[in-house]
Amino acid sequence: MIPSIPNLPRLATGISGLDDMLQGGFLPRTANLIEGAPGTGKTTLGMQFIHHGIAADNEAGLILTFEEFPIHYYRDALGFGWDFQHYEKENHLRVVMTSPEVTLSDLQRLGGILEAHASQIGARRVLIDSISHFERISSDPVTLRTLVYQFINVLKRLGLTAVLTRENPALLGETPEDEEDLAFIADSYIMLRYVEIESALAKALLVLKQRGSNHARDIRQYQIGATGIVVQEPFEGAQGVMSGSPVMTMRDAFQKAFFASKNRPPEKS
Amino acid sequence: MGSNQEELTSRLMDDIDPDLLEFIQLRVNTFIKWDLVQFFHRNPHTTDLPNQIAQYIGRDPRIVAPELKALAASGVLHEEELQGMRIYTLAPDDDMRQRITRFVEACEDRQFRLKAIYHVIKGLH
Repeated sequence: MIPSIPNLPRLATGISGLDDMLQGGFLPRTANLIEGAPGTGKTTLGMQFIHHGIAADNEAGLILTFEEFPIHYYRDALGFGWDFQHYEKENHLRVVMTSPEVTLSDLQRLGGILEAHASQIGARRVLIDSISHFERISSDPVTLRTLVYQFINVLKRLGLTAVLTRENPALLGETPEDEEDLAFIADSYIMLRYVEIESALAKALLVLKQRGSNHARDIRQYQIGATGIVVQEPFEGAQGVMSGSPVMTMRDAFQKAFFASKNRPPEKS
Repeated sequence: MGSNQEELTSRLMDDIDPDLLEFIQLRVNTFIKWDLVQFFHRNPHTTDLPNQIAQYIGRDPRIVAPELKALAASGVLHEEELQGMRIYTLAPDDDMRQRITRFVEACEDRQFRLKAIYHVIKGLH
């Protein structure tokens, strides 16, 4: 078991099941990578983290978007009952549209624009949506890793706890090996996956690592409901869930076969 | 068009808030600038490069770059040099922001829009 840093406050995500898995939430001043295929809820998870900070913990938040327009965040958040436009008017939130190259250069200097945004509202949380756009700056994995490492350290210097989303082009299955490099830099790594179970598509979540803290190691099913993400019970009776095509364990396969034969209606003579 | 008719059109089109008329004639005097002002009004915390901003509004970057520069020169935007990159944000000046808000809100009205378009076209010739 990995010992947790004692008595350190946590930044809850507001996602009850996930906070349980994380022993209460993310550690302060950490970079937390959320990786998944399109539609798995990476941005929703990040928005819920920002919303919870503002609504429950009085912690202002920043959203740095490299592609989506702020209006899309307002609309999507409102769908869950989170009024991001109101938060902005009240100076609890800033949705900043920019590009990775500008962000990186701006954060490196003293008193940059983004630093000013953070200090003006007293931001403690930040959502970076998405870190995948840093690939625009360099296609070389070593350079990219250095840039992201530097970027994460700047966020920590500003006292921010970050959720960084990362796109996985594969709808089903595991991350290709060359895509896992950034996972080493992040303090925690959460994978979101589509899984096919009995011809239906479900969503699965796994906390792969959390530096300096213990965390749940089981794979949980989750849903995106009317009030955000809801993490449910662990998957049971299936192996290879994160590969996208789980198979039943031998015991469950036998059980299913047994019950199926027992429940089969008697043949007519 | 006869001179009397031109005069009448001009009088009708000039029937507009003088402050906004000046704003159109001196600052938002092209349709690209109009798009840019609307974009920065709706996304007030944008900080970006001309190429990116051109993508956001769906226009040619070669046309957008000089228009951003002109908007910065007229005080609508703030231009900054950052490690060799030229970046633009909305000017922090409160009066200017209020003027932009009044312009964008006025554009919701079709009559105002027609008049504003008339003045932009007139200014282009």
